[in-house]
Amino acid sequence: MTVAAGIGYALLALGPSLSLFVAVISQKPFLILTVLSSTLLWLMSLIVLAGVWRAFLPFKTTPSSSAWLPYSILILSSVVFQEGLRVLFWRIYKKLEDILDAFADRVSKPRLFLTDKMQIALAGGMGHGVAHAVFFCLSLLTPAFGPATFYVEKCSQMPFFLVSSMIALAFVTIHTFSMVIAFNGYAEGNRVDQLIVPVVHLVAGMLTLVNLASGGCIIGIPLLYCMALFTLLHCGKMVWKRLADSQNR
Amino acid sequence: MEDGGGGSILESIGSEIIGVMSPVSICMFLVVLLVYSLTNTSASSAVRTAANLVYLESPTDTPAEKLEGALLNALVFVILIAFVTFVLVLLYYYRCTSFLKHYTRFSAFFVLSFMGGPIFLTIIQHFNIPVDSVTCFILLFNFSILGVLSVFSNGVPILIRQSYMVALGIVVAAWFTRLPEWTTWVLLVALALYDLVAVLAPGGPLKILVELASRREEELPALVYEARPTTNANISGSRGGSTLAGLLVAGMSQNDGSDHGVELQAVSASPRTNIGNYENEIASESGHMVINMDNDDEEEVEVVREDQEENSPLMAGNSRERSRSPMMYESTDNSSRRLNEVAVAEMMRPRRERDGDEMIEVMNGRGIKLGLGDFVFYSVLVGRAAMYDLMTVYACYLAIISGLGCTLILLAVCRHALPALPISIALGVIFYFLTRLLMEPFVVGTSSNLMMF
Repeated sequence: MTVAAGIGYALLALGPSLSLFVAVISQKPFLILTVLSSTLLWLMSLIVLAGVWRAFLPFKTTPSSSAWLPYSILILSSVVFQEGLRVLFWRIYKKLEDILDAFADRVSKPRLFLTDKMQIALAGGMGHGVAHAVFFCLSLLTPAFGPATFYVEKCSQMPFFLVSSMIALAFVTIHTFSMVIAFNGYAEGNRVDQLIVPVVHLVAGMLTLVNLASGGCIIGIPLLYCMALFTLLHCGKMVWKRLADSQNR
Repeated sequence: MEDGGGGSILESIGSEIIGVMSPVSICMFLVVLLVYSLTNTSASSAVRTAANLVYLESPTDTPAEKLEGALLNALVFVILIAFVTFVLVLLYYYRCTSFLKHYTRFSAFFVLSFMGGPIFLTIIQHFNIPVDSVTCFILLFNFSILGVLSVFSNGVPILIRQSYMVALGIVVAAWFTRLPEWTTWVLLVALALYDLVAVLAPGGPLKILVELASRREEELPALVYEARPTTNANISGSRGGSTLAGLLVAGMSQNDGSDHGVELQAVSASPRTNIGNYENEIASESGHMVINMDNDDEEEVEVVREDQEENSPLMAGNSRERSRSPMMYESTDNSSRRLNEVAVAEMMRPRRERDGDEMIEVMNGRGIKLGLGDFVFYSVLVGRAAMYDLMTVYACYLAIISGLGCTLILLAVCRHALPALPISIALGVIFYFLTRLLMEPFVVGTSSNLMMF
């Protein structure tokens, strides 16, 4: 719908990430490197998933049969795989933390602060979020820069691009902050936090299945935003508590 | 006062890598923008360049024909480049350095005006910018002249020089993206292989060039992007701050009494750009930096010879014959091999100041230099990916950046000139085809149904 609308949609999905990037991450080169490597990791996870599912796509669904089952299996498997990858990411991060601490000792500087660790986790999460936004939303936005727009039947109240951007925004938020929660959970051995992240991811993924139904996006998107809000609040509460604890110590 | 006291190491780690990756990213981003805005308008008529001397691809050929033609094209191009590189090695061997410099300046002018000019004109036409031809001509002329001046002169601020390097890369890459598709991919792979051979194999022209330059201890007249890190924010006093790879700071120093004093010339004053890659703001204003080495107790302080450096021999030939350029690492000579180790291990030694003679220790400090050809071919790959889809652009961008990161890490380990193309191009090509063939049905299938995870 013209360049302005195209840029608008892109900013809708990625605006908060951009401001987070400029404000927090671009100040420290290491965080930029973390974002890049995290995005690469999630890109590779998407490629692997795509490779596995390539044989089964596109799903042959007749109008009578529902496409619920294959899509839900797809989403379930993808979420499980990605959560497994998150644990792997955590292990790599632990090794990196040891290397960084050893380096800090060598140059007689203080070791990684708690805020540093959280910032690295935030950068990792942002990489995940940006990878999601680019592949699921931005790659489809190229037609939006042209003169027309596009509506999907199942969600005909808004242009497709707008819906896609909004969903992408919710997911970006979820991904960015659940990485912080996950890393904190793994670091402290907090079972609740460790489990909340995969559960939230799975629920969010499954919620998008609602969009298959006609008019489903009216319910789906607000619920998705509830999940995003929940993730944000939980992350904020956890960080606050952790920082307060470490200051009291 | 302690440098960076209380500051975390997270502030400064990795700044050199980012210093190289940012211009590469900017170059790629601008080429993608150019490709996106100009693909419709540029005629699809085949442009016969040095890269498709043999075979002009047309959409009606069979894949086998296209592949064969592309291979022939790539072969011819690589041979041409190898020939030109050998000629340059010969010229350098016979010390025709001023000829090479003038040739580089001429080619910079040529690229910016005669190749950048049509691009500007196309942009003006595409966006209907109201500007008259006289203004346009004058602006283009000024732009090119400033570019020529900034290429080798050291009086020009480093930012302008870096911007012009990026601009040169963009212009050449934009021209290369006009090549037909199969030719482009095969050419990229062939050039990556050529780069590997030319830099690492014993008879390779670039390797010879590097060795000649390091033996003569002078800088190559070549187009190279120098990533000089900016000074750290927590500069303490006048002595400069510390970055990861060490400090190089040079303050003004009256060093008359030292036997080991080595006079380094500040980068801005002489064509010998070397250690001064890391420089303090204050030092850069000073005409000379004198570094004193003390070999007494601090065994890690090494003699730093000012003239040891290696540059990337990107030959600024005609844009179409632009040869390969390995990424080089400045290395010091044997006596400071430990310095290099220190540099390489990226340790930061505590900076000591001696009040008496205002000497500053030199820590290692090397900027990374990346040849212009690397910029060009990375951008060509991403530009070609842009002609397909945004997803492939992102995937190829990430692949190239990670390849560049791997090469930088290898550089820190190997400490000699390394080709920057092979790993990145290999990863880029792999990711492009994986994304195009595998990811697209998967991702587009789910997200067009508004299902995401």
